[in-house]
Amino acid sequence: MVIDGIILSVIVGFIRKGNLSKLTQPLFKWGWMFPLLLAIQLGVFYFQNKVEWIGQASGYVYIIVYVLGLLFLWVNRHQKGLPLVFVGVFLNFLVMITNGGRMPVSAEAAAGLDPMYMEAIKNGFYAKHELLTQSTTFAFLGDIIPVGPPYPRSQVISIGDVIMNVGIFLFIQDLMLNKDNENSHISYESSDLKGGEIQ
Amino acid sequence: MKTPLDHLTNKLYMLLINGIGLTIFFVFGAFTFNNLSDWVLGYALIGANLLLTHFRIQMPPEGNSMSMDSAVYLACLFYFDIQIALSVLFYTSIIQFIYERKTAWWVHLYNFSIYSIMIYSSYFVFQWTNGSVGNIHLDSLYSYVIALTWYFMINALLIMLYFVTYEKKNNAIKMFKGMTRGTIESYVSTLILAIVLVLLFQSEPFFGLMLFVGLALILSFAFKQHFKLYKDAARKANIDQLTGLFNHGYTKELLDKVFRESKENHKPLSIAFIDIDDFKKYNNGNGHLKGDKLLEELGKQLGKSVKDTGYSIGRFSGEEFVFILPDTTAETASSFIDCLRKTVNDTYYDGVELLPYGCLSFSAGIAQLHPEIVTPSELLSKAAQAMSYAKMQGKNNTHIFGNEIEEDRLEAPIEEIEQQLNILLAKDIYTYRHSKRVYKYAVEFSQLLDLKDQERKQLILGALIHDIGKVEVPREIINKQGKLDYHEWEIIKKHVTWGHEIVSSNKKFESIAPLVELHHERFDGKGYPHGLSGQEIPKLARILCVIDSFDAMTTERPYQRTKSFPEAIAELKACAGSQFDKDIVEPFVRYIESTYPLTTETVDVL
Repeated sequence: MVIDGIILSVIVGFIRKGNLSKLTQPLFKWGWMFPLLLAIQLGVFYFQNKVEWIGQASGYVYIIVYVLGLLFLWVNRHQKGLPLVFVGVFLNFLVMITNGGRMPVSAEAAAGLDPMYMEAIKNGFYAKHELLTQSTTFAFLGDIIPVGPPYPRSQVISIGDVIMNVGIFLFIQDLMLNKDNENSHISYESSDLKGGEIQ
Repeated sequence: MKTPLDHLTNKLYMLLINGIGLTIFFVFGAFTFNNLSDWVLGYALIGANLLLTHFRIQMPPEGNSMSMDSAVYLACLFYFDIQIALSVLFYTSIIQFIYERKTAWWVHLYNFSIYSIMIYSSYFVFQWTNGSVGNIHLDSLYSYVIALTWYFMINALLIMLYFVTYEKKNNAIKMFKGMTRGTIESYVSTLILAIVLVLLFQSEPFFGLMLFVGLALILSFAFKQHFKLYKDAARKANIDQLTGLFNHGYTKELLDKVFRESKENHKPLSIAFIDIDDFKKYNNGNGHLKGDKLLEELGKQLGKSVKDTGYSIGRFSGEEFVFILPDTTAETASSFIDCLRKTVNDTYYDGVELLPYGCLSFSAGIAQLHPEIVTPSELLSKAAQAMSYAKMQGKNNTHIFGNEIEEDRLEAPIEEIEQQLNILLAKDIYTYRHSKRVYKYAVEFSQLLDLKDQERKQLILGALIHDIGKVEVPREIINKQGKLDYHEWEIIKKHVTWGHEIVSSNKKFESIAPLVELHHERFDGKGYPHGLSGQEIPKLARILCVIDSFDAMTTERPYQRTKSFPEAIAELKACAGSQFDKDIVEPFVRYIESTYPLTTETVDVL
């Protein structure tokens, strides 16, 4: 879902005549944290069903990853859109930590998905997720929003995911368009000077 | 609505409305939605409302805008039920409260309350007129219309009551008129949109809502473009293309407006009429293209000077500009313009070497509004007259209307002397202007001294012509930029003797010849050409010496720092008794301090 959001944002950014040249500059404080968190997540995801203790600790690992992620967003909160990402991640974190480190998924909402996916959740194999039940706290923050046709990929997301994606969208738009404004300003100035030189 | 709550009736009114609004929410609304699918619906509706209120549809003329969130609330009422509508309103308001921190909290609360009252009462009216929640029934279409009419009536009433309790009644009526103007269109379009949205809800709730919001956003962007074009066109109509300042028409319009306001409120108003010096010369020498470039650059500079002040500036015609300075006396205006003049003098423009001063300069006339002036054009013409006077005084000058020296008391010879002086105008513009200023000081200062009429006249005429000998000094020496060597100094010094000869050649001016010859003698005997000291020097020559030195010290030249009036006064005081006669320095300092108080105070800042 996050990848979808990023791709969509970049496409909209290009439609709005933005560019990605700002990516050459350092964007974040503590930028190294980003790949590290990703690596941990992927590692746990890969090994949790193979190595037993990793599987047992995975809930805690995800919580630590979330806390670090929130910290990372907090130190970068001055960037446009990141406060919203923070809110989205926090809402996801909230529902996960109150439900044993796993994201509750509504079976009703997931009805349209691949049955394999539901099976995996029920059996607890699929990392990060579990089935939403009556005893789930903050159920409304769980994965209850079905996304389907006309959207090309069927999935279930949470309100936190939505807010996070809005934040990412704003962040990327800001990234792609602001730089462009500066450029156009400079080119205006220099054309102005040229006009002076012709005379 | 950003005003402090200081009216009791208003406080009570707000308390009442907020009380009703919150009660409605707690009775009919809820903090949570019934089930998870309602939550999903709630999220979608809240998101839609936030988008719709953020991207309002802006419509010209200014200040008018339309938000479609009402259509969403109404569609919710018609299709779902009141609880969902109120809960959506609650969360939307909370998020707006967090998001729009600039708006006061009680405004948010009041907005929430009137919305909940509107929603509840139109729900009530809808039910009462046999409207049924759910799919649209075309046979009871009237109940939708009535409910919506009610919704808008309550809205107008509650907003108006706020202003009735807060301000005077006629303000509320004005407000109400403003609200009702163009309301029919937005009312009908909201109704249609609400019904469209219900139909969309019927078939595809989420996709329908998405389409609806998408349409609204596109409309919002389209209208935004439209509005921008409108504003651009309006701006272009008022702006001079070349300089980027206001154009003639708009300047006059603005002046009319400011003039009327200042008259009504008995506030001071000054205008400054400025005209670039020797612009024709610049144009002829450099070509019109460069002339336009100069105007463009100067326009930028002038525009910058009024930024962050309450002043405005317009290009009045070719090389004429008009400043409108509300809440400003002529003296303040004068020091503002003088400061600007010095900046312009010190700014290098391409091609200004051709101009007499070697820099860009302008002459300015200032006129202040006073009760006898009835029309703006009178004020303008007074400023223009003052500007002409400033030009006559040798250009690069600021003059306040009404401060002209009455020349008639000086009778005939002055014109003949002026003719002599005009020779300097062609050769040495600095000396010409210096003479004009010394003359002005002499006219004013002599009135304060105990002088006979004849002496007064001698002093004034002498002041005007005292440097006439400089016409004999070679141009290279006069215009030399660096330090003069000994030999050149000797030639400069001779100007007093040469002047003496020129003036003596005319019988009429014999009496002022000593002034011309002796105004560089020093009280301590170290002056030239004769080295006279103390009482040996004629009194008038001693007076002229003080004035001459003071002006020499405070004379401004482009690209150079000027000694300020207080600094020059300090210098005069320091040299009183040695270079100058103490008995003259004292009254002169008093005269300067009383006649130019503003300059002596603020000059440090300039």
